[in-house]
Amino acid sequence: MTTNVASPRSRRRFNARVAEATMLPVAFVVVVAIFGLLRPSTFFQFSNFTNILGLNSVELVLVMALLIPLTNGDLDLSVAELSGMVAVLVGWLNVNHGWPIVPAILVGIAAAAICGMVNGAIVVRFDVNPFIVTLATGSVFDGIAFWLPDQQTIPGISPRLTQWTVLHHFLGIPLDFWYGVVILVIMFYVLTFTPFGQRALFVGQSREVARLSGFNVKSTRFWGFAVAGVIAGISGVISDGVLSTATPQNQGTLLLSVYAAAFLGLTTVQPGRFNAIGAGISVFFLAVAVNGMNLLGAQTYVQSLFYGVFLVVAVVLSRMIARGRAASAAT
Amino acid sequence: MHGTDQAAPTRLAGPEVPALEASGLAKRFGSFQALKRVDLTIYPGEVVALLGENGSGKSTLVKILSGYHDPGPGGSLKMNGVPVPLPVPLGQARTVGLSFVYQDLGLAPDLQVVENLFIGRRVTSGVGSFARIRWGAERERAREIFESYGVSLDPSVQVGRLRPTSQALLAIVRAAEELRRHRGAHEQGGGVLVLDEPTVFLPEHEKVFLYDLIRRVVADGIAVLFVSHDMTAVREIAHRAAVLRDGVKVGDVSMATASDADLIELVSGHRLDRAAIEAATTHGSDAPTEPGGEVVLSARDVSGGRVRGVDLDLHAGEILGVAGLLGAGSEDLPYVLFGASGGTGRLTLPDWTGDVAELDPARSIRLGMALVPADRKAQGAAAELSTGLNMLSLSLKSFVRHGFLRVDNLIGTANRRAETYDVRPRNAALAMAALSGGNQQKVVLARWLEQKPRVLLLHEPTQGVDVATRHQIYELMRARAAEGVAILWVTTDFDELATVSHRIVLCAHGAIAGTMAPPFSRDRITSEVYSAAARGAANEVRTAS
Repeated sequence: MTTNVASPRSRRRFNARVAEATMLPVAFVVVVAIFGLLRPSTFFQFSNFTNILGLNSVELVLVMALLIPLTNGDLDLSVAELSGMVAVLVGWLNVNHGWPIVPAILVGIAAAAICGMVNGAIVVRFDVNPFIVTLATGSVFDGIAFWLPDQQTIPGISPRLTQWTVLHHFLGIPLDFWYGVVILVIMFYVLTFTPFGQRALFVGQSREVARLSGFNVKSTRFWGFAVAGVIAGISGVISDGVLSTATPQNQGTLLLSVYAAAFLGLTTVQPGRFNAIGAGISVFFLAVAVNGMNLLGAQTYVQSLFYGVFLVVAVVLSRMIARGRAASAAT
Repeated sequence: MHGTDQAAPTRLAGPEVPALEASGLAKRFGSFQALKRVDLTIYPGEVVALLGENGSGKSTLVKILSGYHDPGPGGSLKMNGVPVPLPVPLGQARTVGLSFVYQDLGLAPDLQVVENLFIGRRVTSGVGSFARIRWGAERERAREIFESYGVSLDPSVQVGRLRPTSQALLAIVRAAEELRRHRGAHEQGGGVLVLDEPTVFLPEHEKVFLYDLIRRVVADGIAVLFVSHDMTAVREIAHRAAVLRDGVKVGDVSMATASDADLIELVSGHRLDRAAIEAATTHGSDAPTEPGGEVVLSARDVSGGRVRGVDLDLHAGEILGVAGLLGAGSEDLPYVLFGASGGTGRLTLPDWTGDVAELDPARSIRLGMALVPADRKAQGAAAELSTGLNMLSLSLKSFVRHGFLRVDNLIGTANRRAETYDVRPRNAALAMAALSGGNQQKVVLARWLEQKPRVLLLHEPTQGVDVATRHQIYELMRARAAEGVAILWVTTDFDELATVSHRIVLCAHGAIAGTMAPPFSRDRITSEVYSAAARGAANEVRTAS
């Protein structure tokens, strides 16, 4: 009797879950189809796809920086500025000071690690809102980025870096994409297959539960920020390679695009959790949409509009998923 | 009208309209009848104490008056002689002349006194949303109001900086003002102020300020319903006491004629055989039932939170019950011993001796302690994570194979545990929130028991748990004790303590006030706890003055 009642309901619930997890991939296909129909000659070129994959590695890497802090329940708003600062720092050492590129990169990433640790230390030690702290440190990083090269663009960064990011290919796709994939896989592993990742879930869900379970909440949050710093640094280095110049600039659009991707990723693959694969797919979903609109002749300011709208849509969607789960749990 | 009140108010004579006249209030939760046709009448200018132990129906009655619960059919409520349709519209109780002050006071600690006092009713000039707040005039008005109640409070100070007693005074003044305004608007008398355990966390010698304030409010013609465990406070200000037990009003007595012993007897339903109780408590510590196991936790002069200077020995294989009223310090004891809320004092465990201040939860767990907190939502489990993850969060490392945490193995193990601990449904992949309270609690217990602790600290382990599960938990704990685990069981459910404890310590005013030996009954524990609290209060006033 009860099984008769329960089975259609559980089937419906299962269907809802599948629909939920595949919503974004389906939307992806639809978007590709639409642009393909509208601009079949340019959009469907193989080079267009390799371009999209190769040119969005900065976003792909940077969104991975957000995942551990977000799982911990922390917002890190400084990652984009930090990425920009490291890009400038590496270029400045390499071009203005004649350092070989490898030591310049190592120093850049070390600096990024220290900046991430400073974020974490301030947040954890003084128990202050990370939103405000990283908003402020982001502004500091931005300031340093403009200060180092005296507000000038740094041209002519070592061609070796460019070779090892965009010029060398693997399976027909530039290497920088594969760097992003490697970081994605590592992040997926850390969040899904390590006790650290699972403890971070508890920290993000309820600090009190985590604390009374003997988890070191402070250290988990601290390392979240530190890792975010390192990954942001890597994305800065990749941006040097892609552009072969470093320009101090406002990173608002970049920050918005990675947050849009992280929250959009929350709705797919492992719905309700910040997950690496979902975030990775979302980066390219957004990139394809922007690329398509550019091919249709849209101006660059469309990006700002688009990322803003999508961040709102993603947050609302993820909220609806959480509510839907609560409701199905209640029945 | 068929009021059953035997005792007329001693205060006033003459045919007066009751400020509140409730009859036949009842409330059922599933198969549990929380309140059974209770009548209650309060006259203007009268303080009626509502007494009863936990689960007696007190809070259900208050929640019916506040509109939170819809009473069953057959109940009626008249305010100042005017029938009020039930349920009272939620959040609108003041429109019928009811005003509430709860234990948490409902003040915004970051705002100023004056902002809290006039919340939602600022003194303004101008129209509607364009009105300008007149801060000066507002402070002036606040001063007048405080003066009229004989309270000295600075209107511009931040509420969080006030002493707890001053905060309570502010909350009461605010509620009383609400009633004054209501009376002004309707040009009538009446008005009932409901005070729900307002004195619990206040120092004994400062409670006089509260009593003075309540007397002033009453002199104004407002009626007060005073819900409290605090016998001293009730004795001080109540004219009459209504006593609930198991959802039934078992007494409505004039305070002028009732003795403390009478009241304790009514609350506990226990005929006080005073000589027998004396004998039991004084011989309690060296009674033959003293557990034979070795001491596995020994606390000396432990303080922290509301706990002050507690000495305690916990033996292997015993369930030690800690009985205390709300605010007695017993509710902080498990957290202090676990190193989760700071504190001082010496603690001796099998492998460790040191100061409580050196402990933190991670260390306590390594030393073989486990804590099951009362607040399951905020402290016990993460509601949105899976049952399996919640159950096995302490042993994640043991599921790592070749560098990979095997979630499938984890869920498999959790499913077998779900079988052992009878967690329903037996699907460890479900989110915690999908389970009933009782099953969630089993998951939390399973998490800690699987750590094979030597000392288990339980705080209200059956809160929000259905009766059947409750008994499963009792059985589980008895079995663990039989295996040699030492269990400290803190709850205000004295029925439960009587059922599970091998030994009971009484907690009052932060300190251990006595030990009880079996046989236990809820009624005996209740009367002992109330007596201990009253003794402690007397001592405290003596030492403070």
